Amino acid sequence: MKKTWRILDTGLRRAAENIALNRALLEARQAQEAPPTLRFLRFTPAALLGFHQSAEQELNLDYCRAQGVTIQRRITGGGAIYFDETQLGWELYLHRSDLACADMQAISQRICTAAARGMQALGVAAHYRPRNDIEVDGRKISGSGGAFDGDALLFQGTLLMQFDVEKMLRVLRIPAEKLSDKAIASARERMANLADLLGYTPDLHMVQEKLSEAFATEFGVAFAPGELTAQEQARFSTALAEIDSEDWVHLMRRPVTDKPTLQASIKFSAGLVQVSVIYDQARNRIQQLWFSGDYFISPRRTIADLEACLRDSDAQALRRNVEVFFAQRSVDMLGLRAADFCAVVEAALAQEVAS
Amino acid sequence: MAIVRGCNLPDDLFYHVDSNVWARLEADGTITVGMTSYACSLAGQLVAATPKKIGKDVEQKQTICTVESGKWVGPIKAPVSGKLIAINEPAIDKPTLVNEDPYGHGWLAKIQPNRWDAEKASLVTGADIAAVFEAKMNADGFGGC
Repeated sequence: MKKTWRILDTGLRRAAENIALNRALLEARQAQEAPPTLRFLRFTPAALLGFHQSAEQELNLDYCRAQGVTIQRRITGGGAIYFDETQLGWELYLHRSDLACADMQAISQRICTAAARGMQALGVAAHYRPRNDIEVDGRKISGSGGAFDGDALLFQGTLLMQFDVEKMLRVLRIPAEKLSDKAIASARERMANLADLLGYTPDLHMVQEKLSEAFATEFGVAFAPGELTAQEQARFSTALAEIDSEDWVHLMRRPVTDKPTLQASIKFSAGLVQVSVIYDQARNRIQQLWFSGDYFISPRRTIADLEACLRDSDAQALRRNVEVFFAQRSVDMLGLRAADFCAVVEAALAQEVAS
Repeated sequence: MAIVRGCNLPDDLFYHVDSNVWARLEADGTITVGMTSYACSLAGQLVAATPKKIGKDVEQKQTICTVESGKWVGPIKAPVSGKLIAINEPAIDKPTLVNEDPYGHGWLAKIQPNRWDAEKASLVTGADIAAVFEAKMNADGFGGC
């Protein structure tokens, strides 16, 4: 007889409530007050910071205020995202004993791979991409992150049903030059959503059904709809009192100058390679980067995959990461070399050292 | 030094096994706290660490620091009750120190304990370490450091 796990659909809520529910449900799972749970959720427009991020560094606060985009801090890791009604959130609340695995990266991979299978059942060729994405033909359709407390863990992901790429770029603190038509088109090439891929927006319940079927198969369980328990409601009220506050949203404050956007371009014999790097100088990490320029590379998705590989990575490990990346795949670059990508990123980072 | 599935677990330290943290009783009666090599292996490379404020009173198993690795966020919990009296700024600034030297330069916090004699019984030390961590690793499905 299969074990039964709970499905919750907490509907469309404002960000503070959704994040307070994250904490309440994780605590309840840790206290063994609630069964393993799959939760679906949606947000009124919100910019969601990763737990360790600072709003000043990550977001265009003036734009958020003017557009009524709520700012909130997640309890999970990873980078800032824009979340609105056109996206579906999915989350699993599990115990380590539900997984028989303690390695956090392996857990991420297993859950994302299962979620990708659910998306495949909708008719899109979704696949897990290390470290925490789900992509379709190199274009990101889902990002994810997690939190744990003792033996309980929360793993959450997004699924883009439709998506306003331009609004996302304006919410996030992206340099103005990245908001040109060309740059927006370039960002659009890196993102995918179900409506564009399928030619229609699938029914929300159908999407939830396919995702739950995929998780049920992966974990060998059956799902049954449920409600929040009284203990979860009580924990939710307590969590909301803390999270629905400016103190929580601005728990981490760091100056914008600590995280510059650095740019460089180099003309190689095989073409021009340009890069923009958001560099976390306090931790010497590449937070995010985008390559552009004029060069040939096949398959085209290689660039998106390389950007995903280098997202939130140790700047000192750049050469090794790039070498490993290209060693793992067959890429035609007509004379461009892996080292050329390193050189242009290093040229960008060197500007910070120089300043 | 106990070595369990490749993870070093010095036998002169005290361990809160559920929280996967170590505690060292210093000569002045304070407790130094850090993550075990096993906890580091599970987490992977740390990218951020945020401690609670110095001066905060904490109960055993309350969070004293929050760490992030591979997009996972989790708490580091106090192995004993007391007052948080110091944090290791170099490790907060460069969290990979914790991975590189979890029992040395990668310590995270110091606590002035207020119930050490009562609470140390809940910690594991010396010859008991290997068996207790072997059981934990087995339950966690852990392959090795």
